Amino acid sequence: MQALVPPRGLIVDLITPLKHDRSIDGQGLGHLLDRLSPLAHAVFLASPDTGEGKNLSLAQRLELLEKALVVVRGRIPILFWITQEDEEKTTETLLGLKKTLERRRYEGQVFWVDTPLYYHSNYYHSNRGLPALYRKLSSMVNKPFILHNAPEFIRSLAKPMKRSNIRTAILKELVSFKAIAGLIFLGSLDRSHNYQKACRSRARFRIYDGDETHFMDHPSMSGVVSSGANLAPEAWQKITESSLRITADQDNYPEYLQQVWDLGQYLRDLKGIYQRMPVTIIKEVLADKGIIETPTCIFPTKDVKESKQRAKELMDRFGDRA
Amino acid sequence: MVIKQAKEVLKIEAQGILSLVDRVGPEFEKAIESIMKAKGRVIITGMGKSGLVARKIAATLNSTGTPSQFLHPAEAIHGDLGMVTSDDIVVAISNSGHTTEINNILPMLKKIGAKIVGFTGGMDSPMAEACDLVIDVGVEREACPMGMAPTASTTAALAMGDALAVVLINRRHFNQDDFKRFHPGGSLGERLAVKVREIMLINDRIPMVPLGSKVQQVIEEIDAKKVGATLIIGKDRKLAGIVSDGDLRRVLLRNKNIHGMKIEDIMSPSPKTIDESRTAAEALGLMELNAITHLVIVDKHNRVKGVVHLHDLLGRKDFKINAGLSPTAGADR
Repeated sequence: MQALVPPRGLIVDLITPLKHDRSIDGQGLGHLLDRLSPLAHAVFLASPDTGEGKNLSLAQRLELLEKALVVVRGRIPILFWITQEDEEKTTETLLGLKKTLERRRYEGQVFWVDTPLYYHSNYYHSNRGLPALYRKLSSMVNKPFILHNAPEFIRSLAKPMKRSNIRTAILKELVSFKAIAGLIFLGSLDRSHNYQKACRSRARFRIYDGDETHFMDHPSMSGVVSSGANLAPEAWQKITESSLRITADQDNYPEYLQQVWDLGQYLRDLKGIYQRMPVTIIKEVLADKGIIETPTCIFPTKDVKESKQRAKELMDRFGDRA
Repeated sequence: MVIKQAKEVLKIEAQGILSLVDRVGPEFEKAIESIMKAKGRVIITGMGKSGLVARKIAATLNSTGTPSQFLHPAEAIHGDLGMVTSDDIVVAISNSGHTTEINNILPMLKKIGAKIVGFTGGMDSPMAEACDLVIDVGVEREACPMGMAPTASTTAALAMGDALAVVLINRRHFNQDDFKRFHPGGSLGERLAVKVREIMLINDRIPMVPLGSKVQQVIEEIDAKKVGATLIIGKDRKLAGIVSDGDLRRVLLRNKNIHGMKIEDIMSPSPKTIDESRTAAEALGLMELNAITHLVIVDKHNRVKGVVHLHDLLGRKDFKINAGLSPTAGADR
């Protein structure tokens, strides 16, 4: 198992560009990654919502990784979502992705992101056995894992007996595995405190804010997973670096603070537009600006012309050329 | 909403401090040892909010017995670096470890030969690399949005500074008396802030006998005034010497026939004096410096105006402030 230091900062929750036939739009992916790589600290591919991972077939995921490896070329770490509807398929996906890396002899950093509660047992005790699961998964691959705690996503399964969060005690046990390098967290602030306590035994264990609004209110010092960065990567880079104090001192401090405040307001307003249907609206804007070939999503979506127009106007007003 | 937000901020800040608990380790111990061994002071430096934290830590160290001084990093390169010696320990505070002003002075501090301890959350930062010891004060989450102002991180640095000061207190066996000495705001401190003229013994409370007095007279005067000594005065109340309990004891050990001796042979001829306008704290410092318990207050003609005893400074029961009384009224004997 490689002892990689997980990235810190802005992780772009990338949309998956698709052609009309729903194959991966390699050119669009190239444009997106070339535009984002200099600004992001990592990129999250095939994420369940923004990356449409929950609806991507294994073949599509493999194609996505294959094409991303060609473009990224080790410039920034890649986080890739491996979760499927059951343990067997998740394992199959993981092994398939691993083979892709091996075939490409990829030397860059890759982290496997997994949402274990999505497939691990459908009952209240769905946390039970997670350490054994990761013992097994980590023995199959040599790249580290990042856990994904997403209670709303689990609740969307509509299985009332199922736990929607990783139990803190279980997380504490999982953190002792070197193979687990971090956690993408969505949930309440109180739970994030409990998780932080559980993870303190591991230096450099990252807990990323999976919720952009949480990050903008009370930033996690590990960083943020942002879908808005697909549209406004420069603004998100500045906000992240300011929040994490990656760039400490500014020459003109009052003006700098004003800029940060305005940027934050811009990103909140932008989120207010796309949060209704993030994938569709982001893809529509990016396609309109010629960055991706088509706004195609895995599933047909509603008309979002008005939201697209509002997003474009806001971005133009703010001078964000996307 | 307001209450909820306030509670969230407090929780984040509390977690910030709690997160440091597991990270206090060998580097902290080494920092304590370095400060204990240092012959110089602890110089604390930081910019912006970290600068304010540095000032507070310096004040805490000073008031708990560790000589400390704040160094403004921007002023440092314009001359203030001269305050630092190779005997000093420098504590540099920067949450990111990328603060330009701090990183600019680190090479110069190294050249001076001062040991540098870094307080930072940026363990891979240039500052961390340049420091001899690095104490991790990073937090997991900031309370303030978008880095507008450091919040949990500065609280954590402040708390780590307190940890440093308190551990040093215990290592130095700093006691209550020591604490009071450095706290002019306390009850004793108030007393130490007053002028000597306000607390010195005056008039007939001054133990004094004229030159040529017999030893018996000296002993009676010391016993009567209960100050542990008596002044010996010459013509016009001019100070000629002092005889303390200790002087008598030492003479008795050497010479059994003490009553046959002249007072001039027993007395210390040049007692330490202090001007009545100086503070009680200064008087205390002078006593400590000379390992004595009395100071005489004289005028410009060396005429006795009063006397102050260590107990008067540290608070014996009959300590009184003489404000309003004429120091010379009724003093003639």
